[in-house]
Amino acid sequence: MRRGSWPELVGTKVSAVLQLKNVHKAFAGVPALAGVDAALMDNSYVSLLGPSGSGKTTLLRVIAGFEQPDGGEILFAGRRIDGVPPHERGIGFVFQNFALFPHLSVAQNIAFGLENRAVAPVTDAKAVAARVRDMIGLVGLTGLEDRAVTQISGGQKQRVALARTLVTEPSMVLLDEPLGALDANLRTRMRGELRTIRERCGVTFLHVTGSESEALAMGDTVLVLDRGRIAQATDAGTLYSRPASADVARFLNCYNIFSGAVSGDVFESPVGRLALGGVRQASGRPAYAIRYDRVAIRPRDAAAAGDEVRIEASFVASEYSGAAINSFFTLDDGRVFEVETHLSHAAPEAFEEKARYALVWKREDALVFV
Amino acid sequence: MNASGIKLGLGLYTTLFIVFLYGPLAVLAILSFQTGPEGGPQFPIIEWSTYWYKHLFGLTPPSRIAPLPIEQALVRSLALAVMTMIVSTVLGVTAAQAFRKRFRGSGVVFYLIVLGMMVPGVLVGLGMALVANTLGVDRHWWGTAFVLHVVYTFPFAFLVMLAIFNRFDPSVEEAAWSLGVTPARTFRKITFPLIFPGVLSAMLFAFTLSYDEFSRTLFASGRDLTLPLAIYGTFSVEVHPNVFAFGVLTTLFSFALLGTYAVLMGLSVRRAKRMAIQEEA
Repeated sequence: MRRGSWPELVGTKVSAVLQLKNVHKAFAGVPALAGVDAALMDNSYVSLLGPSGSGKTTLLRVIAGFEQPDGGEILFAGRRIDGVPPHERGIGFVFQNFALFPHLSVAQNIAFGLENRAVAPVTDAKAVAARVRDMIGLVGLTGLEDRAVTQISGGQKQRVALARTLVTEPSMVLLDEPLGALDANLRTRMRGELRTIRERCGVTFLHVTGSESEALAMGDTVLVLDRGRIAQATDAGTLYSRPASADVARFLNCYNIFSGAVSGDVFESPVGRLALGGVRQASGRPAYAIRYDRVAIRPRDAAAAGDEVRIEASFVASEYSGAAINSFFTLDDGRVFEVETHLSHAAPEAFEEKARYALVWKREDALVFV
Repeated sequence: MNASGIKLGLGLYTTLFIVFLYGPLAVLAILSFQTGPEGGPQFPIIEWSTYWYKHLFGLTPPSRIAPLPIEQALVRSLALAVMTMIVSTVLGVTAAQAFRKRFRGSGVVFYLIVLGMMVPGVLVGLGMALVANTLGVDRHWWGTAFVLHVVYTFPFAFLVMLAIFNRFDPSVEEAAWSLGVTPARTFRKITFPLIFPGVLSAMLFAFTLSYDEFSRTLFASGRDLTLPLAIYGTFSVEVHPNVFAFGVLTTLFSFALLGTYAVLMGLSVRRAKRMAIQEEA
């Protein structure tokens, strides 16, 4: 209901549900958040990607109100909420360890917020039961209502944690590595379910994860957090093909990255001069990045075409992953270079260990940061 | 050393342990069944009888042995133990809750609290008596002695609760807050039920420590005696097996307390299990 009736201000729709302005937070002098700026669209799935130690859990806890920021502004639904205690914020939180109430049953866990919240508690037992039943149906827990939460599986706990939060109808739910405690199989299935559940409820999800594939698969928007700052905020496709800096490219785990400097039409790298042809992006730190799957492996004596870049390396090993095969090479400076070959293109080739090969890619496929 | 040697050693050790632990209690229990009123508190048992139990309750014909002057003292001791238990447990829970966040000076406060169980009881009792005299305050079991009992038992309750909170996962509280539940209600509905086994332990500690406290009470309780003082008072005349009979009854009472504690503790566990069993059935 609330979704459709957002105020329209002189033709511009106010659609940012959460805005962060220059949010700072340090622990014992060590900065965890160093000026975070972000705006989260209403009714969207946002994933927040960051390596461990990037401050992503801290950011989530600051938004939820469990930690106070040292500086900056947090606006939620147009209202400043920094300084407001967590129970007055109306922001849901799903913990990595689920944090279910161990002394309550599944249904009691889900009913807890409705019955006990300070604002508009639902006192009618029938109304509570009806809403709990609907929510249990939505997350697929029917039949487990009276089970103790210590007696259900990890995936079921995850659903209880989600249901407990969603039943109180928050405008936004923060999820702290919600799939981290599940096994790989379940994780993949829950990805799809989380997206479906979110769409049905129409709330904004902010999903924190350290896994680039999870962030790309889940988020309508992906925020990349690096050393306490938002390094990039864009859709998954743009992020993957156009990372804003070498650091972002590194988190994506699909780029070979060289440091060095641009001089004229070439990039001076530790493995030689790489001819330039593609776009150049300003990022502050010069680097050259080429995606794993844009590189071709050729015999050493094969010549490169005019629009190609060629380096030489020795083959180390390869790793078969079903749809693709990843081959690892050592460069002359000792660093590892990875090539991903999709097996729909060709049958896997056998390479000889320690033998030298030519690694070739098109000039315009490379990303150049200046 | 071979396996049977170790077994033998451990068996011997366990036997000795049990003998030392329960020997005095067993002797006391046996001697309480001595015949009366001529039988004394020593072996051999002249004749088995329940004379001294009857004597306790005034059911025997009058003899030269006066009944134990414990009726009033027992009521006082129980009242004092209950008062101490309530106050110390409340203080212990709230203090431990405060210690979950490192506040300024928390180290000093910790040692100040724990000091209450470290200092020698006789000295504190004497000190309290002197302070009371100086200030012109009358000494009573419900006044000066009660304060000392709280000072003594509060650290035990505090340490128990500190250990409980140490293993407590604070994210369940944060989860409740994020559902819009106030911190006060969260404490009542989430935190307290989860720490309740610890609260029971703290109560048990405070009650039993207060119930048989002697040294602090000796100087601080004034004219009206508590049970340990009253019993000690009878020793200065002559010891009769009626004291032993009373000891047996007190021990049974303690067992009843422990039993209640165990039942209460087991209830929550059983509730969880029952849920699981229903599900599987």
